[in-house]
Amino acid sequence: MGRPALLLLALCAACARGLYFHIGETEKRCFIEEIPDETMVIGNYRTQMWDKQKEVFLPSTPGLGMHVEVKDPEGKVVLSRQYGSEGRFTFTSHTPGDHQICLHSNSTRMALFAGGRLRVHLDIQVGEHANNYPEIAAKDKLTELQLRARQLLDQVEQIQKEQDYQRYREERFRLTSESTNQRVLWWSIAQTVILILTGIWQMRHLKSFFEAKKLV
Amino acid sequence: MGDKIWLPCPVLLLATLFSVLLPGAAGFTPSLDSDFTFTLPAGQKECFYQPMPLKASLEIEYQVLDGAGLDIDFHLASPEGRTLVFEQRKSDGVHTVETEDGDYMFCFDNTFSTISEKVIFFELILDNMGEQEHEQEDWKKYITGTDMLDMKLEDILESINSIKARLSKSGHIQTLLRAFEARDRNIQESNFDRVNFWSMVNLVVMVVVSAIQVYMLKSLFEDKRKSRT
Repeated sequence: MGRPALLLLALCAACARGLYFHIGETEKRCFIEEIPDETMVIGNYRTQMWDKQKEVFLPSTPGLGMHVEVKDPEGKVVLSRQYGSEGRFTFTSHTPGDHQICLHSNSTRMALFAGGRLRVHLDIQVGEHANNYPEIAAKDKLTELQLRARQLLDQVEQIQKEQDYQRYREERFRLTSESTNQRVLWWSIAQTVILILTGIWQMRHLKSFFEAKKLV
Repeated sequence: MGDKIWLPCPVLLLATLFSVLLPGAAGFTPSLDSDFTFTLPAGQKECFYQPMPLKASLEIEYQVLDGAGLDIDFHLASPEGRTLVFEQRKSDGVHTVETEDGDYMFCFDNTFSTISEKVIFFELILDNMGEQEHEQEDWKKYITGTDMLDMKLEDILESINSIKARLSKSGHIQTLLRAFEARDRNIQESNFDRVNFWSMVNLVVMVVVSAIQVYMLKSLFEDKRKSRT
């Protein structure tokens, strides 16, 4: 192991707690966040590279970055940027719906990465979880009670926004269900009518055909 | 190796102090609860890892929101590689484990499906994580001024804490309801598409079949006519 590993392990003692996953060189991983409008989303990630010789994950990967792309519900790109091996991206939604956050590595030096895996630690915070309260306390000069009250207010506001969005989604859902229901009914009626009409046409046409051919 | 150990100690100490005094400088501190929604293409398997301390509690809840049969294989393994949970073709599930120290691995497996990709939602709720529950006490360094009601402040803070806990629970329930609703909506939208598609197919088939019937019958009689003369 050695000195450098121990040192870096100590540095990372406070930050080794999050969810992580493995990603290949050209692989792209996408996450979907369904959020109401005017909601801020902050994503933090940290990458580690698998070192084949030492059989361990290196704490940092200089020169290897991640490309982050965020698409809004209509498919329009909201954020498309390259970050280093450790990065933080932020965006605010302007339309409610499914936002897609995609990450892929921009490894240019393929030899370095050959057959290797990248370990990505990811954390995505939405809405009031994205607020940095120590910063807000310092900026607005709040007392402890004020800060706690502010946090509760933010939390309640986020819940209320989600509820409003939920109401809008439920309405859309109800419209789709009712439209499907109607379509099934009208189609069954139309099908029966078409079948009857086709049967009548068939009989008539054949009858006139046989009469023309002097068979009947 | 032995004679080189004395040097890192003060450096280690400095490094640890550095990482403790400057929050954010040594990397981000992730939250205790997180949820993710992702697309799992057909025939693939994706795994996630969560580092856990000893005697904490890990609750994982997942749901399949979209994609053909709305089912997925789920696998949860302990840090030693022992399988704790193995579920096949389930559409949702919730599991709680008392954790040991190490990285827990959970995987979603869509290899049984050849054409349909699945959208999977999962939520991790971590409890008793220890060091991270003191974030509120850390705020004391950043606040300015004091509040006037010193005696009653503790009571107020206690009720604020309980409000915060209840609001967090509301938030969790909302996340869950959102996942359920998304799944129902996806089912309905696929029903809608299916009804449209098969109605069109039905119409075309009906018309084509009746035309074929008529012309086949006609062609039978044409041949007989020709053979007579």
